[in-house]
Amino acid sequence: MGREEIKELDQGYWAYVKRQFKKNKRAVFSLCVVGFLALIALFADFIANEKPLVMKYQGSTYFPVLKQYGVDLGITKWPKELQNVSWKNLEYDFVIFPPIPYLPKNQDMKNAQFTGPFDEQRVKSKRWHHWLGTDDIGRDVLSGMIHGTRIAFLVGLLSMGISSFIGIILGSMAGYFGDNGLEMSRIRVAMNVLFFFVAIFYAFTTRSYQISDAIGNSVISFFGQLLICLMIFLAIMLLANLLSFALEKIPILGKKMNLPIDLAISRLIEVVVSIPRLFLIIAVVAVAKPSLVLVMTVIGLTSWTGIARLIRAELLRIRNLEYVEAAHALGFSSLRTMVKHAVPNALSPVLISISFGIAAAILIEATLSFLGLGVPADVITWGGLLNKAREAHDAWWLAIVPGFAIFLTVTMFNLIGEGLTDALDPRLRK
Amino acid sequence: MLIISLITFLISTTAPGDPVEQMLTSQTGDGSSSANLQANEESYLEKRKELGLDLPIFYFSIGQKSIPDTLHRIPKPAFRKNLSRLINDYGNWPQISDYYHNIKKLQLKLASVQRDSANATPLIQANDGVKALYIEPNPDKMDFNLEKISKAIVAAPSIGGNSGIGQELAALKSSYNEMTSKTSTWKNYVPSFKFYGLDNQYHRWFFGDKPLFSNGDGNWASKGFLRGDFGISYKDQRPVSSVLFSAVRWTFMISIISILLTYLIAIPLGVFSAKNKGKLSDGIITSFLFIMYSLPSFWIAILAVVFLCGGDYLGWFPPFFNPDLSGGFFSDFKSLAYNLILPLFCWTYGSLAFLSRQMRGGMLSVLGQDYIRTAKSKGLPDSKITWKHAMRNSLLPIITLFASVFPLAISGAIVLEVIFSIPGMGKVGYEAVVSRNYPIVFAVMMFSAILTLIGYLVADILYAVVDPRISYNSKK
Repeated sequence: MGREEIKELDQGYWAYVKRQFKKNKRAVFSLCVVGFLALIALFADFIANEKPLVMKYQGSTYFPVLKQYGVDLGITKWPKELQNVSWKNLEYDFVIFPPIPYLPKNQDMKNAQFTGPFDEQRVKSKRWHHWLGTDDIGRDVLSGMIHGTRIAFLVGLLSMGISSFIGIILGSMAGYFGDNGLEMSRIRVAMNVLFFFVAIFYAFTTRSYQISDAIGNSVISFFGQLLICLMIFLAIMLLANLLSFALEKIPILGKKMNLPIDLAISRLIEVVVSIPRLFLIIAVVAVAKPSLVLVMTVIGLTSWTGIARLIRAELLRIRNLEYVEAAHALGFSSLRTMVKHAVPNALSPVLISISFGIAAAILIEATLSFLGLGVPADVITWGGLLNKAREAHDAWWLAIVPGFAIFLTVTMFNLIGEGLTDALDPRLRK
Repeated sequence: MLIISLITFLISTTAPGDPVEQMLTSQTGDGSSSANLQANEESYLEKRKELGLDLPIFYFSIGQKSIPDTLHRIPKPAFRKNLSRLINDYGNWPQISDYYHNIKKLQLKLASVQRDSANATPLIQANDGVKALYIEPNPDKMDFNLEKISKAIVAAPSIGGNSGIGQELAALKSSYNEMTSKTSTWKNYVPSFKFYGLDNQYHRWFFGDKPLFSNGDGNWASKGFLRGDFGISYKDQRPVSSVLFSAVRWTFMISIISILLTYLIAIPLGVFSAKNKGKLSDGIITSFLFIMYSLPSFWIAILAVVFLCGGDYLGWFPPFFNPDLSGGFFSDFKSLAYNLILPLFCWTYGSLAFLSRQMRGGMLSVLGQDYIRTAKSKGLPDSKITWKHAMRNSLLPIITLFASVFPLAISGAIVLEVIFSIPGMGKVGYEAVVSRNYPIVFAVMMFSAILTLIGYLVADILYAVVDPRISYNSKK
């Protein structure tokens, strides 16, 4: 055994997982593809944009794409001569356009009505060619594809973020405490339940108009309002627990009672699982105003059950291991034992679930926008582009390209999930 | 089940748009004359009552003290929304209610004014102002509209002099001032609990208000969801149950056929590929299945429709789902098969790939076990070991998957039915969503939930049938 190999064996669990994962060629390849797509999503504005990357105009140099970020954040403003201009027709001294000089929303009237990539296009030069054709109102498909990558990744990552947050918290509570693990005094239970409603009332009911106004204003003010609401909520819950701390001194009220957390959460999981997910999402999305945030939230709120189950099963096993007992014996609080010692060891299978979940979320979003639901009409998504193919049967590029992008992304995430499954499976350990 | 009905109902109450207006649009005039306005209002209220929308929403409510328990009787949702906004801003319901009634009176008075060439423009302006007041919670804009009305009245003496419109306006203004000055926003921060009893929208929708065994006094509105009364469709006023019944038939038929096909193909395929593990055939099948598994079915469906159904490319299959069911059994069957091949393929291949992969995995783990080696060493024929000893045990996980394959088929129905224009549950639901025909949307949702639950039940029963170790008798 060489020195190198010994060194390898010394490394910890994650290094081992990494090694196992690297052995799986397909998974590594798909990780690279996903990374590449993520880069596209991240730099979509620099790859496909109507504004030049660098330009010299009337003697001064600008970086319009970068500057747009500043303008959006409210840091800088466009100079007068550049407000509401048609970027394409300006007289530049010097200019570099992005590789694809269109935004997905730009309408090229000369090439409307489904101009194909190989059809004759009425453009100034090859530089302005629509490489993947256009749709019915002359929007560039390739640009739409690139910006659609961003939407797909956003939806996939954020909705899985929401669902894994919920899933990990509920699942670890159910698994760690089980049916007999959590004891509370009667008064504390009563106070918590009562004040929960009170807190909801003061934090959300009485502030509902502030929140809905903030949604209309901007995303930042919305999150600000949400933060205020959460602080009110937490403050009231804290008050409840302080009160019950005092009241616990009375013997009758202070008597301990068992909370069957596992039972409650398992029932909750069963209920959520039996709701027809796609129908629910469609109904919610149809009722409310179309918005991406809503789509992500609804997908997140309905897909946490798998993760919760996994974590629960893992923790049911882990809580009986010696080292958790040791932590108890050392006098650590159960919260600390759970968060610092038990849960981190249960997280690895969740990774698998997350990568499959991202694939599923992207697929659901594509389905929704394919049906024309949920995503606002001016946001171009893969599913929305695919939907256009239904209107014009001879626009083959609209049928093939977006569908292939969805397929590719979903497959890659599934392959990563497979690779992780193999890498984390202790039975395959050699 | 109850919880699902609650969720469904919750979404339904937050649904925007006013069903009553949707149903009445064909009949309403523009509401210019006084009599017309009255008639409109009456027919509006009547329809609302017929639909039961004047009832409280749920058995009880927890809300702010400032919100009166009669708010849900205000007919139009837009007005109701404005009033609740005003309550949030000022918190004094008596004054707000005064204000609302004064707007109403002013509108009636304005409507009774004879229109002539001299006062036409001011009259329109005054009416616009009144309409804006109904839905405007912003104080600046309320001021502006009040000012607009008074200007209009001053501009045309024939309005101002007529039948005390001036007094109405003054009353409105004073009630407005009252409302904005005597605020009691503290009431917003006092919770209050109200109980409404059984006569509420939810109870009527889910349980119905018809007496259980008798016909009652014939004065009931709905038998309730539990007794098969899903309400009526807003669009064409047909009962939802009849709309749904014809649709569910298609969805159910296609789903069942596709699931049967899935199991019939997936099990042998999985077994075959597990038996030949490591060989070329297994490699091909496995990677092929994996690709199929991640192909989005709606993409395949679109490709099929674009390239195989008429259009500019191959015209092998019909572009629209249009089976001819008038001939004898065989011609019916032929026509149906011709129309169903593509949808069935798209319906099936995803779950087929999924199931085969599971079957292969299950079979592999079983084949590695000791009792299989025992059977082999006993000299049993290979086929017997595979099909009798190994397969039965690897079937178990496959059967539990029925619980997830069945709902998959049902929800997959939405997109596929829309693409292939099959008049099934998914398409009906989708069209209802697009046209905001909520009774159908919620009936479809409840139905698919029920079908999902049935799927779980069937899986449980099958599980017990295949595995004799499992029994549902109580253990003690």
